[in-house]
Amino acid sequence: MTRLLLAALCVPSLAFAQQAVIEINKANFRPMPLAVAAPVAQDDAAKRASAEFDSTLLYDFTACGLFQVLDRKGYLADAKEGVTAGSIAFNRWSDVGAEALVKTQLSADGDTLRADLRLFAVGAGREDLKVSDSAPSKDARRLAHKLANAVYRFYTRETGPFETRITWSRKSAQGRDIYVADWDGKNAQRITSDSVNVLPALTRGGVAFTSYRQKKPFLFISRAGGEPTLLLAKGAMVTGAAFSPDGKRLAVSVTEGENAEIYVANADGSDPKKVTDTKFFLNTSPSWSPDGKRLAFVSNRAGTPQIYVMGADGSGVKRLTFQGNYNTTPAWSPRGEVIAFTARDERNAFDLFTVNVETGKIARLTQDAANNEEPAYSPSGRLILFTSTRTGSRQLFVMTADGQNQLALPVEKGDYATPDWAE
Amino acid sequence: MEARADYSLLRPRPSGLLPWLILSVAGHVLLTAGGLVLSWAFAGPKVDLEQQPIKASLVRLGKPRDEKLLPRKEEEPPPAPPKPAEVPVPAPAPPSNAVKIPSKDAKPEKAPDTKKSLFDALNKASKPAELEGALDGDPHGDSAVQEGERYYGLLKSVVQRNYDVSDAIPEAERRTLKAEVALWIGPGGELVEVKLTKPSGNELFDSAVVGAVKKAAPFTPPPPNLAESLKKRGVAIVFRATD
Repeated sequence: MTRLLLAALCVPSLAFAQQAVIEINKANFRPMPLAVAAPVAQDDAAKRASAEFDSTLLYDFTACGLFQVLDRKGYLADAKEGVTAGSIAFNRWSDVGAEALVKTQLSADGDTLRADLRLFAVGAGREDLKVSDSAPSKDARRLAHKLANAVYRFYTRETGPFETRITWSRKSAQGRDIYVADWDGKNAQRITSDSVNVLPALTRGGVAFTSYRQKKPFLFISRAGGEPTLLLAKGAMVTGAAFSPDGKRLAVSVTEGENAEIYVANADGSDPKKVTDTKFFLNTSPSWSPDGKRLAFVSNRAGTPQIYVMGADGSGVKRLTFQGNYNTTPAWSPRGEVIAFTARDERNAFDLFTVNVETGKIARLTQDAANNEEPAYSPSGRLILFTSTRTGSRQLFVMTADGQNQLALPVEKGDYATPDWAE
Repeated sequence: MEARADYSLLRPRPSGLLPWLILSVAGHVLLTAGGLVLSWAFAGPKVDLEQQPIKASLVRLGKPRDEKLLPRKEEEPPPAPPKPAEVPVPAPAPPSNAVKIPSKDAKPEKAPDTKKSLFDALNKASKPAELEGALDGDPHGDSAVQEGERYYGLLKSVVQRNYDVSDAIPEAERRTLKAEVALWIGPGGELVEVKLTKPSGNELFDSAVVGAVKKAAPFTPPPPNLAESLKKRGVAIVFRATD
């Protein structure tokens, strides 16, 4: 009875003393402010490699979209500050807005360049990551990419894009040539040197492209940078090659007269099977879904070019875009949910959009920056490579998958087209 | 002869009236001065008859975008231009017949506090105006009419504005991230203490939620009925990374 009375007395007072609770959902996700201190070179050989290493590391962190790399002009780094947590004045880094800090040391041993990178959590004043690697001195860029990947993986638990490859077609004196390069456009290797070569598609160990080298525009492949060989010759023209995610199949568009159909073949070009059948209409630009079961493509069967999806065998065709009257170059995100594409809007500007595969909802990625076309997703789907005329000529740009952080690739000016991106 | 002179009315006699007279005059002077001080202290806002009215007109709602057209990019509204700090000028004592006009901000019953006015002016200049209710509230909602609820609504909105989390957190992980923070607020709106009471397990997220509270402080001073509770018991905020 006494307990009952005590409880009766306590319960209302407990309720009165209860703490109010507020619920807040949906964070504002934004790039993390990151300070990247200039590398400390411990000898002359390391000093020579330092500039290239530094610029590569800075570009990687800036362009990947995860970080807001703080401008070094905005802070005065203490030259005497060490590279270990105990010797760093974290409050100074915090004062300039940094939430994370990267410090690197470079040293050379003969022809080998060694780099030690440390990542610190500024708020906690703690070392989060220490990674060391080495490479031939001439490969300072590759070394920087490796270390940047380690930082990227620390935060995202995903493989970073810094050691992936991209390809593009570029105008030359003879026509157009195919190039394969690192993700930042550096270390570019020209695969072709004659004729007109367009629409490159990366596959494991090689790049396929449409080439006029044998008069008719058929599909060729160059493996390991070697001499191109014929991969698929059919109809009057073979274009828009796309390799399935497992690398075993190949989708192309084969043109005959006024008609173009999608074909799916083995990766070596054998056994091509027609998967669309629309006489008098065009079906082009196939792009594989990440599970390899479906294809996105462009068709003008409804009067204007629009984005469609279908099973890889041609079943279950479904129109995805109903807004705009010129929607082309679909690229299915490796994350699966959306397809990026180029569209011409009512102002006659070409811009990039995404369409949700399930809901059909369209979102704009680029706007008011000349023409932006030909999206290609990074292997993780976090980034998009595309061409833009915002600086005059058609250049390569990279941005995050939601259209943020649009940056030009640090490559020389030229007329670039139809990029592709692969591991 | 002498005895007659003693009873003369003309003869000066000692009187006890003078001190009372002086006291009375001093009392009146004090009362008058006190009245003047009180009327100055409890004066209402100064009415500026020269002030021009602010004219506002609402822009007509435009035609909805044709659904057949491609969408425009959803852009954040441009940031408001920085407001110059309001320098409070102590108002001279108004005439006794000054008209008292009740306004949203003025509290006619209390004397104007110069220090508080300056603090408020600096606070206003350094922070965007706080919205009533919650950012995700319903336009027709009335849950913020109660002072307490309104205060929590303000608190939520100001913390939400500072709820910035690093993009580096993998998307798959974002869906499950949840952390709880307890904070104690002083009577002046200052953040007394903030504690991460239920961590999410992700350090980036945990430091971001604590940072959101710290960046949002100082808050608007709590209403009197909440001041004690917010100082002693505090308030808990449950953060989720996604909807």
